Amino acid sequence: MSNIALTRIQREFKEVIKSDEVKNCQIKLEPFEDNFTHLKGEIIGPPDTPYQGGKYTLDIVIPETYPFNPPKVKFLTKIWHPNISSQTGAICLDILKDQWAAAMTLRTVLLSLQALMSAAEPDDPQDAVVATQFKQHPEIFRSTASFWAYVYAEAPRNEKMKEYEEKLKQLQEMGFHEKNSRITALSSKNWDLQAAMEFLLP
Amino acid sequence: MEKAADFHYNAEQNYDEETIIQQREIEKEIAGCQDLVGPKEDFTTLDREFEHDVAFLKKIQDVKQRYRRFRRIRADGNCFFRAFGFAYFESLLKNPDEFKRFQDIALKSKDELITLGFPQFTLEDFHETFMQELNKIETNKSIEGVLQTFNDCGTSDYIVVYLRLIVSGFLQKNEDFYQSFLDGGRTMREFCNQEVEPMGRESDHIHIIALSQATGICVQVDYMDRGDGNLISHVFPEDSSPSIYLLYKPGHYDILYKE
Repeated sequence: MSNIALTRIQREFKEVIKSDEVKNCQIKLEPFEDNFTHLKGEIIGPPDTPYQGGKYTLDIVIPETYPFNPPKVKFLTKIWHPNISSQTGAICLDILKDQWAAAMTLRTVLLSLQALMSAAEPDDPQDAVVATQFKQHPEIFRSTASFWAYVYAEAPRNEKMKEYEEKLKQLQEMGFHEKNSRITALSSKNWDLQAAMEFLLP
Repeated sequence: MEKAADFHYNAEQNYDEETIIQQREIEKEIAGCQDLVGPKEDFTTLDREFEHDVAFLKKIQDVKQRYRRFRRIRADGNCFFRAFGFAYFESLLKNPDEFKRFQDIALKSKDELITLGFPQFTLEDFHETFMQELNKIETNKSIEGVLQTFNDCGTSDYIVVYLRLIVSGFLQKNEDFYQSFLDGGRTMREFCNQEVEPMGRESDHIHIIALSQATGICVQVDYMDRGDGNLISHVFPEDSSPSIYLLYKPGHYDILYKE
């Protein structure tokens, strides 16, 4: 890591730790194994969204050329969102790509990701399946996103989830044992059991 | 990465990551063969660059009549800012009065930018480096020092970032006037986020006008393009006397010297 990048990251660290968002437990940032080139971030799902109350862990890699090039960020916690891959956690966000500016910080990034969770951009999707559902079946999208938040991000449970759990159980009884694949199949097929089954068959 | 012949575009796939990797590779290749700011040289290499290009021959003749030397700047999308910064710092070596004037402007610029809403902590970082390098001119008074500043990748880029922030701040502060220069229905904030603040984004007329207005530095740009006729010059701001001269070739800026 270059000197500039290291000095800058260390200063940013102090900045984030002192910030109001950390005090209010909205964001968190810590190094992976005392190494400033690889960091772990955490954001809390914002209120009035399907992600409310969920805890989302992020993998942050600082490039050699930081802060002139953006950090590489992806979700480690699985999430159902048009701009985040439901499979890999890769994120589609302008400031992590061609609109990164050296005056931005990791704090900016974490807050922008929280903002992205509140306001998806389905016309610039990372996950085409989720984006289509977001546009065509907004109700199903919302309940699916909060189900993923409950299953993967420790968000609270609600009544609607009983129906989803029932369908997951039915798929399991048909011999589909891998839980994540079942959730993905049902979510991708708008919780249509028949379609999800066909999706899972080789 | 796949070879071009085997490549099949898949609309479902996201290519951003690969695009960025490829851009970084191209940048590295350019960085390997060119200094950020090259030595002062005569026009021999410029002749060679365009020897098979009739459209430019006349323009090169014009350049040679008006100027004696030039200095190449690395083609990395930051060339306008780097050329402007270097040429101006260099000109300050011989002009202590102008140094005082600019030092004062540069000092005040920090608070102005913070008032406009830039993040204080990073802004201070860039401002500090900028002032530190600017002040070296007064103590060192050597061209070697300025070359060192602008050829150290980190320091050089810090200066470019600060100049970009000055442009962004100036355009946003004078949004009412400059809004009419923008195309595509973008707001000034969007334009600055997309075309001014990110590193490597090329500069247009509007960047040049903004930087010269914001700093009170007068720059002349000589445009070497494919059009017929003589080399065309623009002075920013109009009707003032230039303290630095830049050569524009399509997509790129270098520095020109009368002596």
